[in-house]
Order: sequence, then C-alpha cells, then structure tokens
Amino acid sequence: MIREIITYPAQTGVEYAPDVRVFDDELYSFIDDLKETAEANSLDGLAGAQVGSYYNVVVVKQGDEFLELINPRVLKKKGTIRSNESSSYFPNVSVDLDRYESISLVYEDRNGESHSLKAEGDFSILLQRKIDYLFGANFLTKLKDDEKEKFEALLASSGVSCPTTPRSFSRDYFVKVGNFIMIAMILLVGVALFISDEATLSDMWSYQLYFSYAVLSINILYLFYSYYENKKYSICTNCFNMSIYGVVAISLVRLTLLMIVSYFLIG
Amino acid sequence: MAKIVILGAGVAGHTAASFAAKWLGNEHEVIVVSPNSKWNWIPSNIWVGVGEMSKEEVTFDLAPVYAKTKANFKQAKALSINPEGSESNNSPFVTVEYTGQGKEGTTEDVAYDYLINATGPKLNFGATPGLGEGTNLGEHTVSVCTADHAIHASHELDKCIEKMKAGERQKFLIGTGHGMCTCQGAAFEYIFNIEHKLQERGVRDMADMTWISNESFLGDFGMGGLHFKMGGFVTSSKVFAESLYAERGMDWIIGAHVNKVESGMVTYETLDGAIDTQDFDFAMLIPPFAGVGMKAYSKDGSDITDTVFAPNGMMKVDADYSKATYADWEPSDWPKTLQSPAYKNIFAAGIAFAPPHPISKPMKSPNGTPITPTPPRTGMPSAMMGKAVISSIRDMINGAPEPTHTSCMAEMGAACVASAGKGMLSGTAAAMTVFPIVPDFKKYPGTGRDINGTTGEIGLAAHWVKHLLHHAFIWKAKLKPGWTLIPE
Repeated sequence: MIREIITYPAQTGVEYAPDVRVFDDELYSFIDDLKETAEANSLDGLAGAQVGSYYNVVVVKQGDEFLELINPRVLKKKGTIRSNESSSYFPNVSVDLDRYESISLVYEDRNGESHSLKAEGDFSILLQRKIDYLFGANFLTKLKDDEKEKFEALLASSGVSCPTTPRSFSRDYFVKVGNFIMIAMILLVGVALFISDEATLSDMWSYQLYFSYAVLSINILYLFYSYYENKKYSICTNCFNMSIYGVVAISLVRLTLLMIVSYFLIG
Repeated sequence: MAKIVILGAGVAGHTAASFAAKWLGNEHEVIVVSPNSKWNWIPSNIWVGVGEMSKEEVTFDLAPVYAKTKANFKQAKALSINPEGSESNNSPFVTVEYTGQGKEGTTEDVAYDYLINATGPKLNFGATPGLGEGTNLGEHTVSVCTADHAIHASHELDKCIEKMKAGERQKFLIGTGHGMCTCQGAAFEYIFNIEHKLQERGVRDMADMTWISNESFLGDFGMGGLHFKMGGFVTSSKVFAESLYAERGMDWIIGAHVNKVESGMVTYETLDGAIDTQDFDFAMLIPPFAGVGMKAYSKDGSDITDTVFAPNGMMKVDADYSKATYADWEPSDWPKTLQSPAYKNIFAAGIAFAPPHPISKPMKSPNGTPITPTPPRTGMPSAMMGKAVISSIRDMINGAPEPTHTSCMAEMGAACVASAGKGMLSGTAAAMTVFPIVPDFKKYPGTGRDINGTTGEIGLAAHWVKHLLHHAFIWKAKLKPGWTLIPE
C-alpha cells in the first residue's frame, strides 16, 4: 500500500520513534508499504516518521534494492562535509548543511538480527537524513540560527512559513516593554537619592507603584500571549519557544528586588 | 510494640525513617542502620565536584537529627538477614557491623518485625579493571558519587585548570565506566558544569571535552530516550542533547563499554564490536551499581541469598522477573508495593530493589558484551518509594493484612534538573519532568509517555530550581519545622 508522505508545515506527529519491540507481520507489512511508497515517489529513502508512523524503521536504496534498517543508531561519526540536500518533507526546496562524512551504524533486520554498517559520502548523508526523522529532527533542527532564517525565507517564498528563531516571536515585545519600564524604575531610584523633599518622594513612590503594576500586567499578558502564540504556531514542530515560565520568573524576581530597594529609598 | 529496622539512610531510607519516627515513634521502636554518619544531598555533589560547594553544604550529621526523633541510630553496615531467625533465636534479625559510634568492627544482631532495605547501591568500581578495587575508586579517574569523591574531583579539576593556564592542553573524558551503568544524568550534568567552569576560568579553548557513555544514542538517559514539551515545541532528548553538546564543542562516544582504565587512557568496546582507546588527563567515569552484598540465611543457617536477592545483589520484590525478552516487557512487570515475595515483612526501596529489567532497549556487541543502560532510580522516585513502604508498614502494624500503599515506576513521574554552573544570574540549566518513568505504550500510544507530563525548560530559572531543591530537601531531611509540607 502506498502511504501519504507528510510535507511541511504539517507535523509528522512523531515526537520520536521508540524502538520496535515486536517483529511481526504488521511490521513487515509496514516496511513493505514504506518501500512501495518510496518507489512510487522515486525516493532513495524513507523513514517511518515521514508517513506519520512511530515505527523506528528506515528504508534506503542500495543499488536496485532497498535496505531495511530497524532501530538504527548512528554509533560513530567522522569528518564534516557540506551537503546540498532536498527532502520530500520540504518539497521544491534544497538546503546546504553540515553532515558527517562517514558514519558507522548499528541496526536490526526484520528477523531482529543485529548488524553494523559503515557508510561514506552520499549514502552516509542519506542515512543521516532519514535517521534524523526517527528522532524528530529535520533540516530546521539541524541548521544554525542564521541558516535557519534563510531557509525560512526560502520556505516563505514557496508559500509556507513558520517562526523558528526566538526573535521571530511577537511575545518578545512584551519582554522588551517590561525591561524598559524597569530601567525607568531604576533611574527613578537613582534620582531619589538626591531628593529630600517628602512630598516629591511620596509622588515618586506612587509612580514606582504604578510602574510595578504595569510590569506585573505585562508579565500576565506575556503569559497569555505566549500560550496563544504557541497554539498559533503549533503546526510548526520545530518552533523554538523560549522558556516562558523562566522569563516571567526572572522578570518578577527583578521587580521584587527593585521594589524592595525602592521601598527603603523612596517609600 | 513493633520493631521497624531501616537499613540505609539515603534518600529512600531517611524518608522512611523520618515518617516512621513521626507516625510510629511513640509506640513502636524505629531503628536506622547506616554505615555513614552523614546524610548527603547527592544531586549537589556535582557542584562540589567543580568547587562551587563544600562538603559541609551538602552533608549533615544524622545522629543529632535522629536524636530529635524517637529513632535509634546505629552507625553500622548490614551484613546479613535472617528472615526466619536462627536456631537459637526465633525472631527475624539482621546482623550488622558497626562502622562508628566507638564500636567499629563489632557485630550485633538487630531483631525486627518489619525490615526496610534501603541500602542504596554498592559503587562497583571493581567491575571495570583499573576503575577501582571493589567499592574503592581507583587512582586514574575521579567520581562524584560521594561528597568525598567530589572534593577529590574538584582538586583534580583545579590542577588541570592550572596546567591549561600554563599553556598545556588537557583532555577531559566524562561519562560511564562500564556497559551496564546507570546515572547518565549525573555525568551529563557534571560535564556541563565542568565546561561552564572552564569558560569561567578562561581556559575552555585549551580543553578537549569528550562524553563517553553506554547509551546507544545521546539522550537515552537509561529511559530509552524521551521527548520534551517546551512551550509549544516538542523535541526528542537526542536532538536536545546533541545540540547542547555541539553548541559547546564537545565530542561524544556512545554505545561504549569501558573495559579497562589505565593511567591517562581507557579502552572500550562499542556496539559494533570494535575495540578502541581514548586518552584523557581528567576522567570522571560513573561505576556500575550492584547490591551491597548482603547475605540471607534460613533458620537452620543455610544460605537463601538467591531467594531474597537477585544475582546483582539487589532485593527481589513484587516485580515480574520472568520476562526475558524485550518484546515481552510490560509496565506491569514493575513492582508496586516493594514487598519481598518470600518474606512479607521485608520491603526494599530506592536503588536497593531489583528492577525486573532495563527500560532502554537491551543491546549487545557482536562479541556478546551487554551494553545497555540500567534503569535510573533518582531521588524523587526513591523518596516516594520510601514513604509508600513505611505507609504500608504503619497500616500493617495497625492490622492491614497486605501493603496498603504502592509506588511504581511505571505509574510515577520524575523530575530532574541538570545545571550548567551555579550562578543566580548566569548560565543555563535544563529542568525536565518525565511521566511515567517506565513508558506505557498501551496507555500512551506513540512514545509511551504523557505528552503533557513530560516537559523540559532550558534557562536560568532551572538554576534557581536547583538551588531551591538543594535548600528545601536539606531542610526537609533535617526535619526542620514544616518538613512534612515539602513534597518528596
């Protein structure tokens, strides 16, 4: 049976492929489907995850035949080469990225027998690309930030886009605004050191309180907006989200320290 | 009046002892037997190992803490169990040998009505030639398994830093020292702390750092890998770990069984059957764990160790030890009540119980060498087991015919914080939760784990979490006011 190959920006739905434990007809049938699907799409290799399956299986063309690799692991690696690659997950685009020049693998065949394999050049690259999918990785997870931005632009020009770098997220504007307000609060504390008039200090304390409410509100908005943004981009399996709780925690600790200092110097 | 004897005062044993003293101390006798005079918050040994904390900050004397409670503390190591008593003594007892309290070397039979085996592991350095002799660390490598080991590691690290400052490149090798090790997480945290330390001291560019592990892929962690949900982003532990190593310029050797350690060099076999070597100037290799080597005797004095303990010396409990093949493994194989099937008044908790099998896929090299991480049993599950076991014993003393509480690794989660440095304002750390520890593919099709219960956060906040846990758990272990409110 020819299966549907999932293409970006749809998710494969496979966080990673746990090891195959039971070697039965269902597995053999799936491997046959995978080979048939690769053949029908003129592909030199296909991973189970690319058709949305949790089976830890890869098939790759070796000569005229497909080599079946179950539970493969890249055990050793040597050298780095720059490789121009395309993948059925990202149709109509190609990308340059670093790969290991040669690798050593261990894997099982459909009888559960263990094997090892050394691969070089194009075959090594093909195996690395396919095994990446089994661990939830693809081009976007392999690229460095600057390369990723270029690749995103390429994807956008071909009709799909998805933020994959922290600065792509609008939520960061909340953090910036919060930081600006806290800088203003620090300046206010500095100015307060040179003021002795009680009434002015009282006014300044009021401003400091208003600022602190604003920072608190911004943090709450940040949390809600981050959740919204996560949902908005949930289609992108490779979107990198900053630690939202960590960001809020850091901001609130800073605010608390600032207000303690303000209380003693202004309040 | 019932006598409850607890062997071991680590996380599981001390948790059981604390609740035993609180719940049963007034009417029953609670005896704690531990060869160590001090309690050690082991997760912070990592910071001791890079000179960021002192031994005093991660340990405290047990005797004064037990003196506050009704528990009787014996600084001794357990040698054997007589679950049926002996020909001259009808009560079950455990034979202990004192290691302190002015009675060093003397033995004593301690009678019990209920026994909790929470001895933790034997650090089996002797399993790898050159890694050490028996439980003693060898001369070629360092360890962070105990606070004293960590201090030694910190001094050796300082020497390397001085050499690098003098212009001499140094090779660091961190990981596991045998094909059947667990605790990859501790070594993982240590290599990142060393890297952070070298950055801080301005010598990172003089160091070649290599990870060596029995995991068949980076990020296996003895749990067959996991995924993290970070905000809306889901990633596998392999991608996560590889990117961390690559970003920091650290190389890795995986699927490796270290079979010999010599001065400045390890020899290892990999899953493809190849034998190779790796040089080092500084190596921290976690040893494999085994049971502490207690014996068991029947009433007539015959050896029943095989009945009570598994071949690795850990105690058999209510697990299913019959599943030989990976395909047959089920979450239901894992123990629930932690009660000995042979003796209903004996329980085991923490690392002392024998797991039914690994969690990671069992793998062997073509030469037949097993290279498979053994299951991790970290602080949180150990403490939960300790509390569950003493809860059951409390209820059994009060008339319950069977254990009333369970603590099963296939039904519980675990939390882990892997720091990279100790600063409150700098560095990043990973905070992870996994649920359940043993994957359940029927309940959670796909990865076998709850997508919402298995999460990860990377950032400075995890440093704060680690600091918080350090102080909270030492507070709890010292049984200071409100200790029961701090969860396990």
